[in-house]
Amino acid sequence: MPQETRIATGIPGLDAMLNGGFLPRTANLVEGAPGTGKSTLGMQYIYEGARRDEPGIILTFEEFPEQYYRDAASFGWDFRELERQNKLKIIMSSPEVTKADLEHVGGNIQNLISEMGAQRMLIDSITHFEGLHHDPVELRKLMYAYLNALKRQDLTMILTRESSHLFGEGIEGQLDASIQFLADTYIMLRYVEIESAVQRAIVVLKMRGSAHDTTIRQYAIDARGLKVLQAFEGQEGVLSGSPKRMTESFMKAFVRR
Amino acid sequence: MRREDLTARVMKDMDPELFDFLTTYVDSFVKWDLLRFFHENPHTMDTGENIARYAGRTTEDVKTELQDLTRRGLLVETPVENMRVYMLKADPAIRTRLQQFVEATQDREFRRKVIYHMVRH
Repeated sequence: MPQETRIATGIPGLDAMLNGGFLPRTANLVEGAPGTGKSTLGMQYIYEGARRDEPGIILTFEEFPEQYYRDAASFGWDFRELERQNKLKIIMSSPEVTKADLEHVGGNIQNLISEMGAQRMLIDSITHFEGLHHDPVELRKLMYAYLNALKRQDLTMILTRESSHLFGEGIEGQLDASIQFLADTYIMLRYVEIESAVQRAIVVLKMRGSAHDTTIRQYAIDARGLKVLQAFEGQEGVLSGSPKRMTESFMKAFVRR
Repeated sequence: MRREDLTARVMKDMDPELFDFLTTYVDSFVKWDLLRFFHENPHTMDTGENIARYAGRTTEDVKTELQDLTRRGLLVETPVENMRVYMLKADPAIRTRLQQFVEATQDREFRRKVIYHMVRH
């Protein structure tokens, strides 16, 4: 059986968790609290695409493109130059306009995708779609059509979504259950408190049609972007935000050395 | 001194292309804001209401100026469903002239001239 092509994120450690990268033409959700690095992860994915000659589009709602140029520059990624080379376009728009535009044959986004041969997209963030409909069923239908319209263009997407709580579980918005179901991959970024210090955790909760690493790993953001580190060992309840040490007996029984 | 003479004196050292851009597109502070906004966010595609929000101006003022900039050929207005969506014209010549204008406004003396020009309108 031929090996399935993967779309590498270029993020050290993450591609290994994803069994090589995202599957083509998929919508991949990255969810986390403010400051966890969702946009950084997305920008790194777009930058990796440009490096591999796979042009990308960043679709931003409310965040000014200027912010992306600045943030990217802090990691040594020259997004302005990539725009000049037609390997990147940062579109600032709103959910209602892009939705209507995508439904329209020969719309502006479709033309731009064809013109630059875009293969990757970052939608930052889909949280803004919650304002489009109060009915969760209608919102789910709307998101389903929206993502399909983009997949039809052969795009492999990262969608970011803000969670309102900094640690552990909390009350989610209308889009929560729908988008987790609609997304092909669901990556969660979390702050965790361990011995009075805040660390960051990443886990791939779901990856449709592919095996993936299910361990909860640490990650860091440094001058070159995001990188996934080792798994949390000897801790339980990491996703609750306040993990506890596993008992020695449990460690002996279940943790391979 | 006649008004025309004073204008000529204030504008005398201005680059002819910048002068042409100024007289063609910039006759209000809202337009100036919008020009800078589209220069910094060149792939914006949105409604007048949303652009007004981004620019921090009233919807009414912004809509009027967006329509005017469209008439003057700097922006493109596209009907999308029941919305009017505005974008910067893709023409590289126009984008270059816009860039030159925005860069020129970094200079205090040039800004003074732009303000003088707008006040006259």
